[in-house]
Amino acid sequence: MTSNFLELKGLYKTFDNITALNNVSLNVSKGEVIFIIGPSGCGKSTLLRAVNWLTPPDKGEVWLEGKLVGSSSSKLTIKEAKLLNNLRAKMGMVFQQFNVWPHLNVLENVVRPQLVVAKRNKANAESKALKILDEVSLHNKIDEWPDHLSGGQKQRLAIARALAMDPILMLLDEPTSALDPELVGEVLIVLKRLVNNGMTMLIVTHELGFASEFGDRLLFMDGGEIIEEGSPKKILTMPKTKRLKMFLKKLDITSFKH
Amino acid sequence: MLEYQIFFDYAPILLIGFWLTIKIVVCAIALGIPLGLFLALGRRSNFVIISFLSTSFIELFRNTPFIIQVFLFYYVLPFYGLRLSAEYIGVLALAAFGSAYFAEIIRAGIDAVPKGQLDSARAIGMTDWQAMRNVILPQTLSIVIPPLTNQTLTLIKESAILSTITVHELTMTGLMVQGETFRPFEVFIMVALLYWALNETIATIMRKFEQNTKKNRKAGSIGNSSTTLKKSTSIK
Repeated sequence: MTSNFLELKGLYKTFDNITALNNVSLNVSKGEVIFIIGPSGCGKSTLLRAVNWLTPPDKGEVWLEGKLVGSSSSKLTIKEAKLLNNLRAKMGMVFQQFNVWPHLNVLENVVRPQLVVAKRNKANAESKALKILDEVSLHNKIDEWPDHLSGGQKQRLAIARALAMDPILMLLDEPTSALDPELVGEVLIVLKRLVNNGMTMLIVTHELGFASEFGDRLLFMDGGEIIEEGSPKKILTMPKTKRLKMFLKKLDITSFKH
Repeated sequence: MLEYQIFFDYAPILLIGFWLTIKIVVCAIALGIPLGLFLALGRRSNFVIISFLSTSFIELFRNTPFIIQVFLFYYVLPFYGLRLSAEYIGVLALAAFGSAYFAEIIRAGIDAVPKGQLDSARAIGMTDWQAMRNVILPQTLSIVIPPLTNQTLTLIKESAILSTITVHELTMTGLMVQGETFRPFEVFIMVALLYWALNETIATIMRKFEQNTKKNRKAGSIGNSSTTLKKSTSIK
């Protein structure tokens, strides 16, 4: 269908008269790291959740590697719902609130989706989980319950859980926003390694330093629209629109880092 | 004054009735909880017909007196050619009545699991049912144990109403012994003590079970996790 790796076409979504997405289109190439910034309620989380059809938009289509993830024009058939689940497994999602599963220990959190969704056998799933938990430095916590982990450890577990499905795209929704400041670094280290490994990523964040260092592209959203986009350094140092200038000014006042 | 001899003379026959009460209640719960789960999931279903039928069933059985339900089961089922003994009809009526309440408890338990849990399960590619089974329902369990226990105790007490359709359970047996001896005080004290003993036993067991499920999650490596530890070291 299309040469684009990920293609969002004309996404439109309203919640009770609030326009969260207003005709948003976006093309992403393989290996690209895209950061999305914007004031709260600007639609950036909704955009991310539309990509894997977790929040189906009212209008528009999403394509991944030439396969239709979802289209607002028709209701999902059983076959399409099955395909959607397969495609979702390829799109690892990381949430602000971690959403690790408290009734399963660390190892089981990473093993369970491999058994249920990817249909791997237990031995393969466990060895894969141990390898990935090692990569996120949780190898000494495999028997721990999530309730006992720090926020940073929970988020690294959530990332490991997503990576175990061999995703080709990662969607990260404010992965460090719920963390104590001293725990942000350990999660960023894991994300940096993903960037260096060439993972395609869409990251909603307020970590502008991280975005300008590792982003290929930065999108500034407001009112459900992409207002500015381009190289992070250019956008952050030379904002064109008044809205972005205002937004950056506010961030400068509220945080020391920029 | 109390006639103690009655306690000894009529204990065996009361225990037979007690045993039938236990059997009926166990069967009713074994049927009622799965049916309640089914109704709770049905009520949340996207299919309008399933959710309508489930909701109707729940509301009907929750909002009518149990004794009327029992009479309807007892008199209406044979009319449609389903001739069952009073015991079986009692089990069915009790299961249907209980399931309506079990369904509402389970539904509230499912709603109490944070929404992000379903998000993360769906985002990783699980179907609705896989997400329910692997992520939501296991977390619902620890939430619903106390209210489910309460409802079970209520069900045991409600089973006394089955005496009205000639089921020879504990209350019915008590009534018969009372008719023979004309000593209502002794007889009904025994009956009450037996119900109390059964309920207290169940409540105690469920409290222990509840504490255990809580402890398991907090204590770290217990049970099957130690086996995974062994496995993991051998893999490395």
